Amino acid sequence: MFGRLFVKECKQTVKSLVYWVIVLILIFDFTSQLGDTEIARKPEPGQEEYGYKSSHDPELIMKSVLGELTEEYYRESYTTYPIGFYKNVTLNEEDDRRIAGILKEAAGIDGREAAGQMVEDWYALQQETGTLGAAGEEIHREPLKVDPAEGLTYERFGELMDEADEILGGGSDYCKEYRENSAKVAMTYEDALEEYKTLTEKDRLTGGYARLFSDYMVIFLGILPVFLSVTRGLRDRRAMMQELIYTRRCSSFTIVVSRYLAMTVMLVLPVLIISLVPYLNCVEYAQRAQISIDNLAFVKYTFGWLFPTIMVVTAAGMFLTELTDTAVAVLVQGAWWFVTVFGGIGRLGGGMYGWSLAPRHNTELNWQGFHDGFAQLAANRLFYTAAALILTGLSVLVYSQKRKGRLKIRGKILANRKSKSEA
Amino acid sequence: MSTTIKIKHLNQYYGRKQALKDVSLTIRTGMFGLLGRNGAGKTTLMKVIATLLPKSEGTVSVCGRSTQSAGEVRKIVGYLPQEFSMYPNMTVYEAMDYLGVLSGLGKAERRERIKELLERVNLTDDRRKKVKALSGGMKRRLGIAQAILHDPKVLIVDEPTAGLDPEERVRFRNLLCEIAEDRIVILSTHIVGDIEATCEDIAVLDEGSVIYQGTVPDLVSMTEGKVYSAQISKRELELLKKDYIVTSMLTLGNNVMARFLAEEKPFSSAKLCEAGVEDAYMYLMHMERGIPE
Ligand SMILES: Nc1ncnc2c1ncn2[C@@H]1O[C@H](COP(=O)(O)OP(=O)(O)OP(=O)(O)O)[C@@H](O)[C@H]1O
Ligand SMILES: [Mg+2]
Repeated sequence: MFGRLFVKECKQTVKSLVYWVIVLILIFDFTSQLGDTEIARKPEPGQEEYGYKSSHDPELIMKSVLGELTEEYYRESYTTYPIGFYKNVTLNEEDDRRIAGILKEAAGIDGREAAGQMVEDWYALQQETGTLGAAGEEIHREPLKVDPAEGLTYERFGELMDEADEILGGGSDYCKEYRENSAKVAMTYEDALEEYKTLTEKDRLTGGYARLFSDYMVIFLGILPVFLSVTRGLRDRRAMMQELIYTRRCSSFTIVVSRYLAMTVMLVLPVLIISLVPYLNCVEYAQRAQISIDNLAFVKYTFGWLFPTIMVVTAAGMFLTELTDTAVAVLVQGAWWFVTVFGGIGRLGGGMYGWSLAPRHNTELNWQGFHDGFAQLAANRLFYTAAALILTGLSVLVYSQKRKGRLKIRGKILANRKSKSEA
Repeated sequence: MSTTIKIKHLNQYYGRKQALKDVSLTIRTGMFGLLGRNGAGKTTLMKVIATLLPKSEGTVSVCGRSTQSAGEVRKIVGYLPQEFSMYPNMTVYEAMDYLGVLSGLGKAERRERIKELLERVNLTDDRRKKVKALSGGMKRRLGIAQAILHDPKVLIVDEPTAGLDPEERVRFRNLLCEIAEDRIVILSTHIVGDIEATCEDIAVLDEGSVIYQGTVPDLVSMTEGKVYSAQISKRELELLKKDYIVTSMLTLGNNVMARFLAEEKPFSSAKLCEAGVEDAYMYLMHMERGIPE
């Protein structure tokens, strides 16, 4: 029964308008973001620039982290990502004084005025050297660097920054994970060659591009599936077919899970097909450059990185729709998505995946970051997969209750609204 | 295995509103008619039997299976709701096939059953039509076909004849009678004619209570000797309506041929008639409410 129902549900999905709108948006997303990405060339000596990379030089790290702290302290506004989501922190007087103390010990900057002076000087310098546009818009900003206080050891620096991070509630630029990636230096030809080697050898080319592909696709997959599951959930009611289905012998588990499986499979299918484009680009490049690639990388990333997001968004939509018989899931998912996308903006480069619904990695490079953040990413993906399964289980439960005439939440919502409007 | 539906002291509430009051019924193989005016509780009772509503109080067992174990009851029940439709973009055949899968029928079985049933409800030529393109009556016929798709022991049909043309209505009744030969068919209606032509056992519901349960002839015999007809003027009709229950009338020029209920011969021109189900039903409803003074 399950298999046949699954096939029928897939056919229904294919015949629904919303499905094709989703597919079109995915294609549009792909072509506009990734359609004309050139596969990385092997760097040549004598190029003007080779991009930037994180530096692990303690001196440089201290300078740039203290620069950041000076600027944020001066502006009295701190950006943090406590649980992977963006948060703007402003401090009370006491905490502000504690940060001032840290800044004084670490950089010898005494008070807001002194910090302001440094920021303004740096700003003026930026304009002078032409790295700020005439209207003040940033063109290419050399971040503020502040020298550490004399005799400050890297160890003591670490302690002070940990304290600052704690004051800010965690997830700030001063926590260990972030501060060690904060110093950027221009890459040399050798560096670039090294990156290229990592891409072609460690990632075997397709790994890097599959991550970049995942990065773009995951954004839209963080919202689109909800439209499919909400329309599916409401279809029975709208077609006045609920009672005909409810009285069949088929178990609620079979009905709900076959629908769920059909939706997720039909959603992952276009993603797999679209991924053929960058895959073929890679194949072509690999032939010319005489390198070997991982032929399954796109499949692995689609299921490892993207599928959990598809699963949980579909399941959340299905659960809320079954529970309320309304389209409220669209609003909920919209809010969740908004927070995810805008909360993740500071963490695009990869390696810092946190618990985001849509982990980002906006480069084909940075294999090291991926490698270092892999445990977190795996935990993240497993968490959402588990959440999806739990939500599906709950949907089965809700469905089986509704079948028996229990849990008439929609009726209650409507009655509530009615009595309110009467009052 | 038991082949009866037993309902004992069933009370059913919607919030504070009581829709069924201490209903006790035994329903055996054959056609069973549920009669009652709008809001009497017919649909509510049927939904309880079809496991679509949890019973509030009392016991309901369908062929020996309690409605509490809904899965067991669903296997043997077919249900045609009062209001329903199907996925509008599916064809008649696809919709049947979909429901057939949900009923656990195999591929060959579905093909055979659907073909046979569409034939029976006269929809064979429309099998490729989309559900949204069906007329009301065609949809009803499709509804009955889906309800018997899995060959259920119990068939519950809620006002199936509403909106059918007279010819279809007769076909429909005959179809139900055929089906009822070896199973229970519960039919609700407020069209007395439907019951008269098909049902042996009936129950009449009024405001959630069973006010009559028995056979159609027994119901009719309640009014034996109480049905009169008379040819009177239109003015006299108004007076007659005040004192008696008028069950039907026929206008003949300036006069009216009225049929009414009376305990004894009211006036000399009144003629005693043979009682019909309609008369008996009217009698019953007014007994409950009290005969007008
Ligand atoms: N979902 C509901 N919520 C609250 N009250 C309801 C609900 N459904 C039915 N009722 C009430 O229960 C009573 C019985 O309704 P029911 O639908 O069973 O009547 P019925 O005999 O089928 O009427 P009809 O001939 O009009 O179909 C009515 O008074 C109705 O207002
Ligand atoms: Mg009804």
